[in-house]
Amino acid sequence: MKRCVALLLVFLLISGIGVFAKDTVTVMGVWGGVELEAFEKVMETFEAATGIEVEFEGTRDLPTLLTTRIEAGNPPDIIVLTGLGLMNDLARDGVLVELSNVLDMDKFAEEYNPIWRELATYKDGLYGLYISADVKSLVWYNPKAFEANGYEIPKNWGELEAHSKKMIADGNIPWSVGMESGAASGWPGTDWIEDIMLRTAGPEVYDQWVNHDIPWTDARVKRAFEIFGNIVKDEAYTWGGPIAVNATNFNDAIAPLFMDPPQAFMHRQASFITSAIREANPGLVAGEDYDFFPFPPIEEKYGTPVLGAADMVSLLTEKQAAKQFMRFLATPGAQSIWVGELGKIGVNKRINPNVYPDELTAKMAAVLQDAIVFRFDGSDSMPGAVGSGAFWTGIVDYVNGEDLDSVLEYIEAVADETYTGGAATD
Amino acid sequence: MAARKTFARFFLHFVIIISLIIWIVPTLGLLITSFRPAEDVNSTGWWTVFSSPLDFTNYTLDNYLQVIRAGGMNTAFKNSFIITIFGTLLPVLIAAFAAFGLSRLNFKGRSFIYALIVSLLVVPLQLTFIPILKLYNILNLSGTFTGLWLDHTAYGLPLAVYMLHNFFQSLPDDLFEAAFIDGASIWIAFVRLALPLSMPALASLFIFQFLWVWNDLLVALIYLGGSGQVAPLTMRLTNLVGSHGQDWHLLTSAAFVSMIVPLIIFFSLQRYFVKGILAGSVKG
Repeated sequence: MKRCVALLLVFLLISGIGVFAKDTVTVMGVWGGVELEAFEKVMETFEAATGIEVEFEGTRDLPTLLTTRIEAGNPPDIIVLTGLGLMNDLARDGVLVELSNVLDMDKFAEEYNPIWRELATYKDGLYGLYISADVKSLVWYNPKAFEANGYEIPKNWGELEAHSKKMIADGNIPWSVGMESGAASGWPGTDWIEDIMLRTAGPEVYDQWVNHDIPWTDARVKRAFEIFGNIVKDEAYTWGGPIAVNATNFNDAIAPLFMDPPQAFMHRQASFITSAIREANPGLVAGEDYDFFPFPPIEEKYGTPVLGAADMVSLLTEKQAAKQFMRFLATPGAQSIWVGELGKIGVNKRINPNVYPDELTAKMAAVLQDAIVFRFDGSDSMPGAVGSGAFWTGIVDYVNGEDLDSVLEYIEAVADETYTGGAATD
Repeated sequence: MAARKTFARFFLHFVIIISLIIWIVPTLGLLITSFRPAEDVNSTGWWTVFSSPLDFTNYTLDNYLQVIRAGGMNTAFKNSFIITIFGTLLPVLIAAFAAFGLSRLNFKGRSFIYALIVSLLVVPLQLTFIPILKLYNILNLSGTFTGLWLDHTAYGLPLAVYMLHNFFQSLPDDLFEAAFIDGASIWIAFVRLALPLSMPALASLFIFQFLWVWNDLLVALIYLGGSGQVAPLTMRLTNLVGSHGQDWHLLTSAAFVSMIVPLIIFFSLQRYFVKGILAGSVKG
């Protein structure tokens, strides 16, 4: 027994020493699965070139873990953020390192659309580096099924409506929508609302809404919800009706388009959905079996804006190796590996279009490079409690059949509590 | 009378069987899902296999192969073992000493210490993260197995001490008196008498603690930091799934892969539950 205890103590001592002696860069993010595999390739390239070891810490619960680690004085060197809200919070708290002394700013100005600088700026400081983006305002369809049924690509909302009615008359279901995403359920619906807001109220009102300068109970917000509700709450319009919308995983919701015969004909989703299509149906050819058209404009004067999301990395420590890794991530080379694997869109202008897995993605990249009216995903930019909280649950409740006014009042109440600025905050 | 007894028995069995079925359905669904191809999982429910249960195109081993072949799985298994074995042995061992002292030795403040330990049962785990992590950063323990063992030991001790204390208390006093009369020291009484007699309690405690540590994700994530070198199985498995929940069907097979070890532990220690070692020990 005594010997056993002694052995244990010796073992404790030995294992305590040495595990973390090497100089490593730690990166924390929410990535897993294929995303993680792609990022590991980026890390390997950097490791091979510099000999610096990069460790990725994956967690789905990033904000909680990050707060704990920062509070405890043990932050990761680099974090991958998917929301602007968190970046602003962290920059305000002084946790992030300003990047204009880290990156080569001349090169940065040359290689990046100014959108990306503006979006990562907090009070004149650059706090985030965008490495890839997703275009969200896309409607996916099956060209063969469209052709077989004599359907055409709608150019505006009126055409879309007429188009949907024709499908219903043919005994077909126009849309497939899925909002299930575990604890994040509801976010695909928020993208719909944002796209509709951009098209019915315009970018200025959109910004006011995101900044809470207009309340959630505003008639323009309500109208966006109603347009969305008219589609997803009707079993004739949407596959499986509201029950399926809330119960179907967002990645699986595109599946009905490729069933035989197709169970639905259109699916609104961001560019990343191509990786889900390729994974579930490896035989499908981009451009032939699946294609996209822009989410059609609703009010003519606002045109066809682009709604997007982006992956951003921020620096938390002054470690030289971490700065070196940040500079590496800004290069077209690093981004090519990353976007080529995932079907995301690179933001560095010098990325060779050939790295994209198919022409569709290259087409989307071109759309993004030329974007003039571009808006960042609204729910990502709102404070967490609203943008990734009340908005998500609110839209699930609305689809579930809850009264729209009470849903909007609920989100408004949460917004009042969490926003620190905004003209509509009481 | 006999008929009534049979009926009562039948009724009891009926209730037990029904609740068993209800209890087992989700696990069964999980098991079936884990053998179904990804496309099927995404398009139809697991119960649909019952329409043609012998059609083997309905089943695939792909999910398991994908999970087992995923990079770093060997390291993750090894890490889980290192973490769990010491994260289980340490608290059980320390709790055995502590519980014996608290229940069989007379010293001042005994019940106060016992009450203090038991009251720690209600302290939520999450409350301790930041202060302990701060301490670990000073001591260079964050990101090390040692740190995690100490955590699991600390988190497991209150319940372990409580359970073993109650068990030691229930051992007959006569037994220890007899031992002391025969000249046994306290150490001998503990090692030769209390420990063997409490095998069932130790075994169940061991299983509880083993399951808790083996299945733990949160504590490991906080203190180890989740990097590949030290990540346990749970962390590796959650990373199979994309940031938006893509590939969740892999979690079904992953669940069964990670279940194997606890099942082996459970079945190999089960006989200790059944054995009534205490029976007959005070006779004669």
